[in-house]
Amino acid sequence: MKPIVVESLKYKYPGTDALALDDISFEVDEGEVIGIVGKNGSGKTSLSLALTGLIPHFFGGAYGGRVLVDGLEVRYSSVTEISERVGYVFDNPFTQMTAAKYTVYEEVAFGLENLGLNREEIIRRVEWSLKLLDLEGVKDHHPFNLSGGQMQRVAIAGIIAMRPKILVFDEPTSQLDPEGTEEVFQVIQNLANEGMTILIVSHKLEKIARFCNKIILLHQGKLVDFDRPQKVFSRDDLINYGIQPPIVTRVCRSLGIRDEKSGYYPVTVEEMRKLVKQNE
Amino acid sequence: MNEIKIEKVSFSYDQKKPVLNNVSLTIQNPTTAIIGQNGAGKSTLVKLCKGLFKPASGDIWINGHNTKEYTAAQLAPHIGLVFQNPADQIFKHRVIDEVMFGPLNIGLSKEEAFENSMRALKKLGMDKHSERNPYDLNLSEQKLVTIASILAMDPPIIIFDEPTIGQDDYGKELIKHVIHELASTGKLVLTIIHDMDFVAENFERTVVMNKGEVILDGPTREVFARGDIILEAKLDTPQVIQIARAFGISDVVLTVDELIDRMRVHLGDSFPLK
Amino acid sequence: MNLTLYVERDSIIHKIDPITKLIYCLVAASVPYIISEHMFTFFLMLISIALLFIGKVFRKMIPLYLLSMFIFITIVIIQGIFHPDNVTPLISFGPVTFFKEGLMLALLLILRIINMISAFGVLILTTQVDDLIQSLVKKGMSPRVGYMIGSVLQIIPHMSSMVSTISDAQRSRGLETEGKLSTRIKAFFPLIGPVIMNSLIATKERAIALELRGFNSRRKKTFLQDDKEFLFGKPCQLILILFFIGMIIWRILQ
Ligand SMILES: Nc1ncnc2c1ncn2[C@@H]1O[C@H](COP(=O)(O)OP(=O)(O)O)[C@@H](O)[C@H]1O
Ligand SMILES: Nc1ncnc2c1ncn2[C@@H]1O[C@H](COP(=O)(O)OP(=O)(O)O)[C@@H](O)[C@H]1O
Ligand SMILES: [Mg+2]
Ligand SMILES: [Mg+2]
Repeated sequence: MKPIVVESLKYKYPGTDALALDDISFEVDEGEVIGIVGKNGSGKTSLSLALTGLIPHFFGGAYGGRVLVDGLEVRYSSVTEISERVGYVFDNPFTQMTAAKYTVYEEVAFGLENLGLNREEIIRRVEWSLKLLDLEGVKDHHPFNLSGGQMQRVAIAGIIAMRPKILVFDEPTSQLDPEGTEEVFQVIQNLANEGMTILIVSHKLEKIARFCNKIILLHQGKLVDFDRPQKVFSRDDLINYGIQPPIVTRVCRSLGIRDEKSGYYPVTVEEMRKLVKQNE
Repeated sequence: MNEIKIEKVSFSYDQKKPVLNNVSLTIQNPTTAIIGQNGAGKSTLVKLCKGLFKPASGDIWINGHNTKEYTAAQLAPHIGLVFQNPADQIFKHRVIDEVMFGPLNIGLSKEEAFENSMRALKKLGMDKHSERNPYDLNLSEQKLVTIASILAMDPPIIIFDEPTIGQDDYGKELIKHVIHELASTGKLVLTIIHDMDFVAENFERTVVMNKGEVILDGPTREVFARGDIILEAKLDTPQVIQIARAFGISDVVLTVDELIDRMRVHLGDSFPLK
Repeated sequence: MNLTLYVERDSIIHKIDPITKLIYCLVAASVPYIISEHMFTFFLMLISIALLFIGKVFRKMIPLYLLSMFIFITIVIIQGIFHPDNVTPLISFGPVTFFKEGLMLALLLILRIINMISAFGVLILTTQVDDLIQSLVKKGMSPRVGYMIGSVLQIIPHMSSMVSTISDAQRSRGLETEGKLSTRIKAFFPLIGPVIMNSLIATKERAIALELRGFNSRRKKTFLQDDKEFLFGKPCQLILILFFIGMIIWRILQ
C-alpha cells in the first residue's frame, strides 16, 4: 500500500471563486522525500493541509477527489485519527506551542502523553528528539523565552517525537540558521531511511535538490510537474512559474554542463563536479 | 553621514546569562549584514539600537543620539526596525491603517501619511491589499506589509530582521530592490539574515556574531574568505563560493555572474559540450 | 520574564500533595461563610498565614496584601458609614460618622478576604500548576479541562508578554508610552484591542496545532511527570473534610 495517494483532488476555500487546488493527482512510495515548490500563492500550504485533513475538516469549502494517507481516506476520517499517521509542522512556531507547558522538555512530551505512551517511552522519545534537534541546552527554558529559530526546532521536535508514518513540513526552517537548516534536512533524511515518508515545502531549493527524491511543482493550484529534481530544475519554462533553479543549476546552464544522456543539468555541487571530471 | 555607534555594550534578559557581551561596532556603510547562528543575540542587538531595551552597560548612539537619553518613541524618526516576526509588529485591522500608524505618530499630516504609505505598499506589491485585514494575509505578505510600514516613516537608518523569511524568489527580488534603493538614496541599511548568497550578493560589509560577541567584521569579500571563522560561528559559506572551491578556485566570488566568469576561464574549452 | 507564580522552596508545605492543598484552600476559604464569627475567622486567617511562613513564601504575599488595601478602605467607608443596620455611632470626622455595626461587618469582610487570599496563596505559591492538574486529571477530571486550567493560569503572564510585544511595536513607530503616568495610561488603551485580537488569532491556530498533537485523542492519557511522593495525603484530607462537615453540623445545630 502506498503511504500517500492523491486522486484528482480539487479544493476551493469557502467564499472564494478560484480553485486553490486544481485536479491534483500523485502517489508517493514509502521512505520517499518529496519537495513541494512553487511561488507564493501556488497552493503549497493548501496541499499540505489536505494531507493532514485540516482541509476540508477545519477549513470547510468545496472538495472533490480523494486523498489517502496510510490507507485512510482523509475526507471520512477525523483530524485526530489522521494525526496519529501524519505529523504536520507549519511555519509559525509561536502558535504551535501548547501555551500550557513550562519547559521545552514538557512541551515536546505533550503529544506523547496524548498518545498514551508509558513514561519510559515518553522520556526516551523526548530525549531522542531533543538530541536530534540540538535542543538539550534549552530543555528547561520556557517555550516562549526562546529565539525564533529555537522555537521552530521545538515545534519540529514535538511532532517527530510522535513518530508518525508520514511527515508534512510547511516551511519549517524559515527562521533557522544555515547549520540548523542543514540539521533539519539531515534529520529528515534519517527519518526517511527508517521508512518515514516525508513531504516538505521550502524555498531553500539547494536543500530540496540535495535531499528530495522527487519534486512537486505547483502553479495556480495545478500540479505542473512531479519528477526528479534534475528534470524539474532543468525545465526551460521554470521562470514562468516564479522559480529560479538552484545556483548550481543556473551556473551549469550558463556553462552548458549537463548530463549527455538525460540532457538534464546537475542540481548539486557533487553532481556538477562528477560531470566536469568525466569530460576532462 | 548616518551612523550607528555601539560601544562596549552588554545586556541580559534575566540578569544572569549575558546575551550580549561587550559588543563594539560602528556602522556607517550604506549596506551591512549581520549573520550568526540562532540565539547569537542579533535580534537583541538591533532592539537595543532601536532603544526598546537599554544596555546594561555601554552606550549606543544613533546619529549622535544616545539611546539611554531618549525614549524609543523619540528615536522613531531616526531609526526604523522591521521585526523578525510580523506578528510582533502588526496590530491594526486594515493594512493601510497599519502602515499609516508610524507616519501619523511622527507628525505627518493625514494626506502625507496616506501618500507615503501607498507609495511604500506599492514598492512591495502590496498596494492591492491596502483595505484587507493584515491578519488574513500569509506570513510572507505580512512581512512585506511590515517592511512597508517602516519605509512609510522614511527614517535615515533602517534595520531589517530576517526580511526574507517565507519569501519566494519574487519577494526576495523586491526586498533586494528596496535595500539597494534605500542605500542609493543615502540611507543606512542594516540587515540580519541567514541567506548567505543574498548577503554575498547585496551587502558591502558583513558582521559575524557568535554567542553574544562580534567575532568577525569587515568587507563581505574578506569576511567570506575566512571560512574557518564562518564555520566556527556554525554558518555556511555562500553556494557560489562552495562551487568555486569545489573546482579549486580559491578567490572569493560573491555573485553568480562572477562565478560563471571565473568558471569559464577555469574550465577553458571543455565547455559548453558540443 | 517569570511565567509562573510558583515559588521554589524547600519546605514541608511544598511536599504536601496538591489535592490536599486544594481541599485545604477550599475549606479554609468557605468555612468563614458558614460560621460568621470574628474570632473564628481571625483564627483561620492566622493558620493560613502560619502555613505561608512555614512554606517560606509569606514575603511573596505582601504585594497582594498591599493591593487589597484599596478594597479594604472601600469596604470600611461603605459599610462604616452607609450600612443600613448602622445605629451606634463610634467616631465622627466632621460631618462623617462611622458606626459600630458597619465597622464590625467591615472587619469581618476584611478578615474573610485576607483569609481567602492567604489560603489561595498557600496553594498557588507552593504547588506547581502541572502537579495540581495532573493530580486532578488522575482523579478523573477531563484532560481538556486540565489543559484549560493550565493555559488560563498562563494567561496573565502570557497577556503581559503580549502587551509588552505590542507596546514595543507601537513605541518603535513613535507612539509615546514612557514617562508620565498620564502618557502611560493614554498609551494603554490602544493596546487592549490588538491584545484581544492577537489572542484570538493565536487561539485559533493553536487549536489546530493541539489537535494535530492528538489532544482530542480518545486514548487514555499518560503523564511525563513521575508520581511525586507527597506527604500526609490521605490523613490530612480526611481531617479537613471531617472538619468541614463538622462545621456544617455545628451551624445547623446552632
Ligand atoms: N484561508 C483561506 N481562505 C481563502 N483563500 C485562501 C486561504 N488560504 C489560502 N488561500 C488562497 O489559496 C491559494 C493558495 O494558497 P496557499 O496554499 O497558501 O499557497 P502557498 O502556500 O503556495 O503560498 C491562494 O490564492 C490563496 O490566496
Ligand atoms: N524575551 C526574552 N526573554 C528571555 N530570553 C530571551 C528573550 N528573547 C531572546 N532570549 C534569549 O536571548 C538569546 C538571544 O536571542 P536573540 O537575540 O533573539 O537571538 P538571534 O536573533 O541571534 O537568533 C537566546 O538565547 C534567547 O533564548
Ligand atoms: Mg504557504
Ligand atoms: Mg533573531
